[in-house]
Amino acid sequence: MSYAETLEQALLTVKQQAMQMQRCLQQRKLMDALKHTSIMLTELRNPELSPKQYYELYIMIFDSLSVLSTYLAENHPKHHHLADLYELVQYAGNVVPRLYLMITVGTSYLKCPDSPRDEILKDMIEMCRGVQNPIRGLFLRYYLSQRTKQLLPEDATEFNANFIITNFIEMNKLWVRLQHQGPLREREQRTKERKELQILIGSQLVRLSQIVDDNLSMYKDQILPVVLEQAIQCRDIVSQEYLLDAICQVFPDEFHLATLDILLDATTHLNPDVSINKIVLTLIDRLNGYKDRQEQEQGQEQEENTTSKEVKAADINLFQIFWNYLSTLNEERPDLSLQQFIPLIESVLNLSLRWYPENLQNLNALYKITTQKCQDFGSDIPPNCEYLFQNLLTLQNSESSTLRPSSNFFYKLISQCESFGGLLALQSLPLQKSALNSILDVLLHNEVDFDDENEASSNEGFLIDSKENLCSLLSIFEPLTKLGPPMPSLDRKGSKNVKGTGDHFPADEDDNDDEGSWILDPIQEKLAKLNHVVFQSVVKSSDPIKDIEFEMEVLLTLRNWCYKGGKNIKYTYPAIITNFWKVIRRCHLLATRCDSENTKRHTELIKQNFKYVSRSTNDLFNMCGNSFSDALYKLNIQSASLADQLSLGEIAYDFFSQAFTLFEESLSDSRTQFQALVYMAQSLQKTRSLREENYYDSLIVRCTLHGSKLLKKQDQCRAVYLCSHLWWTTEIALIGEEEGVTTDFYREGKRVLECLQRSLRVADSTMDNIQSSELMIEILNRCLYYFIHGDEHDTHVSVRYINGLIELIKTNLKSLKMEETTTAKTQLAEQRLSELHIDDAQNTAKVSNRFVIGSDGSYIDVPTVNGGRALVSTKLNSMYINEMIQIPIQHFNRTCDYILNQRDVDDRFKVIVI
Amino acid sequence: MLVLALSDAHIPDRAIDLPDKFKKLLSVPNKISQVVLLDNCTKSYDLLKFVNEVSPNVAIVRGEFDNAQLPTTKKNRIKESIPINTVIRQGNFKIGCCSGYTVVPKGDPLSLLALARQLDVDIMLWGGTHNVEAYTLEGKFFVNPGSCTGAFNSDWPIMSEDEVINKKETTEVDTNKQDEESAVKSEEPKETTSTDKKEKVEISNLDINGSNVPSFCLLDIQDSVCTLYIYIYIEGEVKVDRVVFKKEETQIQP
Repeated sequence: MSYAETLEQALLTVKQQAMQMQRCLQQRKLMDALKHTSIMLTELRNPELSPKQYYELYIMIFDSLSVLSTYLAENHPKHHHLADLYELVQYAGNVVPRLYLMITVGTSYLKCPDSPRDEILKDMIEMCRGVQNPIRGLFLRYYLSQRTKQLLPEDATEFNANFIITNFIEMNKLWVRLQHQGPLREREQRTKERKELQILIGSQLVRLSQIVDDNLSMYKDQILPVVLEQAIQCRDIVSQEYLLDAICQVFPDEFHLATLDILLDATTHLNPDVSINKIVLTLIDRLNGYKDRQEQEQGQEQEENTTSKEVKAADINLFQIFWNYLSTLNEERPDLSLQQFIPLIESVLNLSLRWYPENLQNLNALYKITTQKCQDFGSDIPPNCEYLFQNLLTLQNSESSTLRPSSNFFYKLISQCESFGGLLALQSLPLQKSALNSILDVLLHNEVDFDDENEASSNEGFLIDSKENLCSLLSIFEPLTKLGPPMPSLDRKGSKNVKGTGDHFPADEDDNDDEGSWILDPIQEKLAKLNHVVFQSVVKSSDPIKDIEFEMEVLLTLRNWCYKGGKNIKYTYPAIITNFWKVIRRCHLLATRCDSENTKRHTELIKQNFKYVSRSTNDLFNMCGNSFSDALYKLNIQSASLADQLSLGEIAYDFFSQAFTLFEESLSDSRTQFQALVYMAQSLQKTRSLREENYYDSLIVRCTLHGSKLLKKQDQCRAVYLCSHLWWTTEIALIGEEEGVTTDFYREGKRVLECLQRSLRVADSTMDNIQSSELMIEILNRCLYYFIHGDEHDTHVSVRYINGLIELIKTNLKSLKMEETTTAKTQLAEQRLSELHIDDAQNTAKVSNRFVIGSDGSYIDVPTVNGGRALVSTKLNSMYINEMIQIPIQHFNRTCDYILNQRDVDDRFKVIVI
Repeated sequence: MLVLALSDAHIPDRAIDLPDKFKKLLSVPNKISQVVLLDNCTKSYDLLKFVNEVSPNVAIVRGEFDNAQLPTTKKNRIKESIPINTVIRQGNFKIGCCSGYTVVPKGDPLSLLALARQLDVDIMLWGGTHNVEAYTLEGKFFVNPGSCTGAFNSDWPIMSEDEVINKKETTEVDTNKQDEESAVKSEEPKETTSTDKKEKVEISNLDINGSNVPSFCLLDIQDSVCTLYIYIYIEGEVKVDRVVFKKEETQIQP
């Protein structure tokens, strides 16, 4: 008898023979049926079939043999005796059909109650040795295992285990042998075939796990050692990787917990090419999953059986076991590459995070060993390993969602694990940067809630409890403080540039020092935010003074840290200054509200903080020079305002003086100067504590003087009329002042009028007629402001003066209109001109809306479409001279309308002639 | 047409970010047609990115801590200055935007009125004071969205809650045109029992910052009607108030 040549033919033969066999069975011709079966089984002898093809054939035959088996069992002993048949089939010609028949008959016999089970089983497994061809042998043994599945004796666990183990050992041997069959060049093909067959071996382990059930001692003493020994001794990579993985997957978690050391020890004896980390990762995943399930269970039912299991797990120090393992590996396997070793560490790290979330010493140890490994590695870490370290440092891979490390965790990790910083410092700068960036993101989401005890979030945030911890936290970020601004090219990738939309990109470096330019730097921005987070997280005690002192200490530490950033302090110092201000306000509020007996101490602290602010602004000036002087000027003014609010006139005066010095020495751009001066006037106008020692007088005179010396005439004019407010204090309702009730406002109408007169002179001498007229109208509006505010003898702004001004404006506007025609004639745009003449009134109204002048004299081109933005320019465009001329005319008309409207509510307006 | 007005973010100098609930509210793409950044909103990359996602149409006026120019890319050499006044148009309204720091006296209604006259606008948006305000005066609508982060304010701090209300009443000179309806009026903030508890020495961050809570404004403009929504963040909740301003039809717009 021989087998068919192709799979198709073989399948056909099997089908035919199976049908004939069944027919014979129906006719109770058992001998013929066996003959057909034997022919069918011959197909399984074909050595040319691939594992997949063989499997297809096997499945088909298995089904047919099931039919036969059922028949045999049902007709015993009525029509035949199975013991006889068992003898009979031994005479089949070929070994493969013979053994299949034997197993079929044998297992049918096992179904009968009176059969000699042990002998049959022993005999069958002995006889299977007769097939030594790997594929055929594997399937034959698989057949044996499948057939005996339900038929093993019930009370003989040990016997059954031995039976399966024996089968497993033989199968593994066959499986390994398959690797070495055929020519060397087909090796990879062999490996592929073996992987297709691995499920047959795995099924034996599954069977074992079913047999052993929850019998731990049996697993530990009899099964695991044998299986592991088998795995180790075969020295085969495919087999070792698969078997250990299967062991981890197949047996219950509790077993692994109990036999962890044995299992781990086995991995050290494997073939050096086996990837250990895959095995360990599987194992740790299982253990972490076990922890998850256990916690869920505990949540559902807090019964005694779960607690007893938990005690078992708690007795074992998992980390210690893995730690010992790592140390051994590190010593015994110096050949392990970083790519292999780091994932191992990461797995153990995840284990520690899951099982011992509070234990930072574990992590420290892990970081230490990684550091050591890195140092041993010597040369630069290859780029393809970097992501491994990134994961390790940022803990990004750890736990899908349950255990995302909180800001508090990072705080503790950084402040308590010195090795963390050590490892970080060993990495390349880009890697450090990106790792720190991720950590910063976590830290910035720190939620500290001092008020709500019931909120769950409150225990997630970190609290700054000591200077040492803060220092170690900050020192980690030092590489970031010194970074230069990002390269524009890197930055542009993220978002598209839409002109003028607000998403602006860093300029190139040589523009760095330009006054008024600013490079957005996301990293420095985060560092500045970190200052706030740290400040908000300062731990509070019961002693407010101690708290404030500690806050100041923290701020000084932060300042020293930021100082190392060199020019970058322009990003970070403002945040620190803000926090000094906050401390100042807190001190003041404490002194006035709660703690009046310590006022003296509070005042000292406040003064000290102002000194710190001053030192900070000095640092900024020294480091950043003119590029930052405008902002510095304003920081000084705001510090002055704060001091003034606390009735610290002298300090306020000092800060104002510093601001003036900056103004004189460092602000050069005329626009910046004008705005800065207006801001000074605005701030001075709100001060209340500078009256003593004539501070106020000297400051406002200085301010006005500077105003009158600005570069451009229109700026002079505007600055001076705005400075008139410095002699006309208005109420600040917040501190209880009220117009008409408060009597001690600082008001000198004579000076107000002087300012207005002076600015009018400047307006009159302005050469540009449009600006000149516009300025006069602005002054007129200022006059109306004072006119509303008080009587003539208070404000010195009289009806006569206003009427005179209106006359002057009218004259000016007349000559301006003349300019319209004359210039218009010289204009080339004659078409537009003719249109103007045709449709005079309406068109003028339309045109008039085109431009307005802003409060700094800029020309604003009012958009005509919905959602449009105005073009703002400082230069007059002669193209639109006619429209420009309309600016003062229309402004004057609106002012006149206003005066007319005011007549309804205020009779005094009736004497204003328009 | 929705116009979003944000002011005084002071990120990162004084604040970390907008309240998350604000961000969630504003994260609806293609709803808001224009954003106005009044004062001190240009120093944060993150904020500008966020604003740009809300709407790419952004108008900016310069606050005291904004730089004179917006940083630009290398290719685009011409630097764009940030103006201190600008005008936008929505519906039948011209809206003036002005940085609070160049108005003398600061936040003075009459000074603002004079500026609104000068700019020939119907609605005046201004910032710099960190306190949300809205009132009509002489037929013009004045809106200050307050600080969107509740940042530290160096102006005179507000001493108590009652005084804030007093102040608002005095400034709201002309209230007859305002339909004061609150659309989503959250319940009166429950009298905090915690204030009693921490009475000992605790000083709240609000007091230190100058008693301003985070707030912003959204202007819904339909032809001649502007509905102003004021969003205020109090004790972890967002409170919304609504004010309607109608433009008087005496001036006919083309």
